[in-house]
Amino acid sequence: MSTSVIDTEVPVLQTENVGKTYGRGPARFHALKGLSCEIDHGESVAVIGKSGSGKSTLMHVLALLDRPSSGTVCLEGEQVNDLKPQHISTLRNETFGFIFQQFFLNPNQTVLENVTLPLKIAGVGRSERNRRGMEVLRQLEMDSKAKNKATDLSGGQKQRVCIARALISNPTVIFADEPTGNLDSATSETVEDILFGLHAHHGITLVIVTHDEDLAAKCQRRLIMQDGEILSEEPGAHTAVNNSEGGAA
Amino acid sequence: MRAIDVTRTAVGNTLRSKLRTFFTVLAIVVGAFTLALTMGIGAGVGKFVDNVASDYGQLDQMFVSAAPEADADSDSELTEYDPQARQDAGEGDFFRDMMAGGALDDDDITTLEQIDGVTEVYPVLSVQTEYVETSASDAYELQEIGFPSISDAMHLTAGEVATAGETEMTIPEKWLEAFGLEEAEANSVVGEVVDLGVPNAIGGVETVEVTISGVSQEAISGVGGTPMPSMSLYQHIYDLNQHGLEQTPDPVYVQAIVDVENLEENEQAIKADLEEAGYQGITAEDQMGQIQGLIDAVTWVIGGFGLIALLAASFGIVNTLLMSVQERTREIGLMKALGLSRARVFSLFSAEAIMLGIMGAAIGIAGGVLTGVIGNRILTDGPLSDVVGLTLYEVAPVPLLMVVALILIIAFIAGTLPAWRAAKKDPIEALRYE
Ligand SMILES: Nc1ncnc2c1ncn2[C@@H]1O[C@H](COP(=O)(O)OP(=O)(O)OP(=O)(O)O)[C@@H](O)[C@H]1O
Ligand SMILES: [Mg+2]
Repeated sequence: MSTSVIDTEVPVLQTENVGKTYGRGPARFHALKGLSCEIDHGESVAVIGKSGSGKSTLMHVLALLDRPSSGTVCLEGEQVNDLKPQHISTLRNETFGFIFQQFFLNPNQTVLENVTLPLKIAGVGRSERNRRGMEVLRQLEMDSKAKNKATDLSGGQKQRVCIARALISNPTVIFADEPTGNLDSATSETVEDILFGLHAHHGITLVIVTHDEDLAAKCQRRLIMQDGEILSEEPGAHTAVNNSEGGAA
Repeated sequence: MRAIDVTRTAVGNTLRSKLRTFFTVLAIVVGAFTLALTMGIGAGVGKFVDNVASDYGQLDQMFVSAAPEADADSDSELTEYDPQARQDAGEGDFFRDMMAGGALDDDDITTLEQIDGVTEVYPVLSVQTEYVETSASDAYELQEIGFPSISDAMHLTAGEVATAGETEMTIPEKWLEAFGLEEAEANSVVGEVVDLGVPNAIGGVETVEVTISGVSQEAISGVGGTPMPSMSLYQHIYDLNQHGLEQTPDPVYVQAIVDVENLEENEQAIKADLEEAGYQGITAEDQMGQIQGLIDAVTWVIGGFGLIALLAASFGIVNTLLMSVQERTREIGLMKALGLSRARVFSLFSAEAIMLGIMGAAIGIAGGVLTGVIGNRILTDGPLSDVVGLTLYEVAPVPLLMVVALILIIAFIAGTLPAWRAAKKDPIEALRYE
């Protein structure tokens, strides 16, 4: 294995001719049909498309949650297909943050415990975990709720906790699958602002799967999927919106 | 994930559904309790038997009775009914068979004295005494006196064992009180004369003047805890017991105790000789071995039930954890997605199984030990207080640690199936799980 220094010239994630099939025989289904794409360091990418087009499947493959049936996936230019599961787990823990539509917070634990879960998995000691947990909660203005049970929160607050959890291990990439799918428009706005703030100020790469046109439009690049293939690629309206404030409506 | 966090998480999860944990643990408690109790009983009774055996064992002695009739052993064979033979056998034979050995008379005693290696024969008679009266006190009730055959096993603090042929006896230390003496003053009681009250056959009490030859210490086995007359005094008391009868019946001895030369070396030879002459001889060790064997059998049977209870409890653990894995599918999926390895997921659920085992073992063993110790005290102070030195229960650390280890191993094995189920969950499917 080569350098550990991050080379921003090399795409953080890269797929080549990735295919994913489910089932066998007559029930065989091609969810991804030989798909190639690149995601650069510090990019914000939206993956959009009809329901069932393979967006989540692609995200799972990119996030090393799932192995493709064919083709290769590279992280920082290095192929990860053949790595041991243990190693892939560690890579996921250190490199990625996850935000899900259904939050997946543990209702029996406090907000702080939920947020520090990735550090606990990484083997960080409790006091250090809690210190960093409080820090990231403060950043998201959720520190006052640190001792509350996760179930006591509103939907927007829950998603902020999830963002805190995704952020705590200083990830290179944050994957968000329908992060605003369960939120009303005003709350969605706040969550989006937080995500793009992180992108702008901390250089975190964002990969967002969404149905929401407005959210997709804020990304630098949009991958439009259909039937397991990337139909087309569009630059986002992000830069344009910035230039003529409020112009697009 | 650190080991400490695995443990903490496992503890947290077992406490999450308390009622379910409670009942799962309860099943383990039953097994642990039973095993802790039986192990302790085995150890306690074993210790008692050892104490008694070591006190008696230093005597080169055998207990001799008439050998049971040959056909009494062959219960398995059918014997043709013969009314004449049955009448010949007589009524007494039933009891004789029950005791697996017959009574002896004076002829038998003479025969025994002739056997090679036998140095002394004590025919066992039962005698009654009424009271003892010292110069310094009123009469004390005297229920029980010792049988002289074990004189040599006593540990004396003063004086000597009663001399054969003399009207002498030793007294136990606790009797010094009757003379107004301290234990340290034991020597001054030697040579004192006491009056022994002995009942006769027609309701009267006759007195014998007995010289105190020594003071004995009571051993855990009870040896030395009663006055110990010389053999001739013992015989004299027996004769007095018969006084008043028109015709003194020939004495019948339940058994005889024989002193032999070097028991360890000659045991087999003497046993063989006795058998040939129509007697059976057993040593204290044989006798204690029989008791020990019986107790061992009982503890093993009860212990077996304990093991079965643990086996049943292990299925409870499997069941509880399988349910827990099912319920926490999403949580497991999330942890795996966030980078928790299979091995760690496995250890998380294994730790939970072991937690259940630890709780069950701790409560069950604490309960078993407490019950054993309290039960031992109640029984040995109460209904069984006559049996000197009896221990029914003893805290046995090594067997208890083995029980703990066994429970933890069983819990771990029970946990492997659920833990493996959890470990192989696919994070994506787990996260999709509704
Ligand atoms: N485990 C599976 N077994 C069989 N088919 C599957 C499995 N997972 C996904 N699929 C199929 O793969 C296709 C792509 O699924 P995917 O979840 O990626 O869609 P999506 O684009 O994320 O849809 P949505 O917008 O509704 O979330 C779907 O047709 C789905 O039915
Ligand atoms: Mg989807």
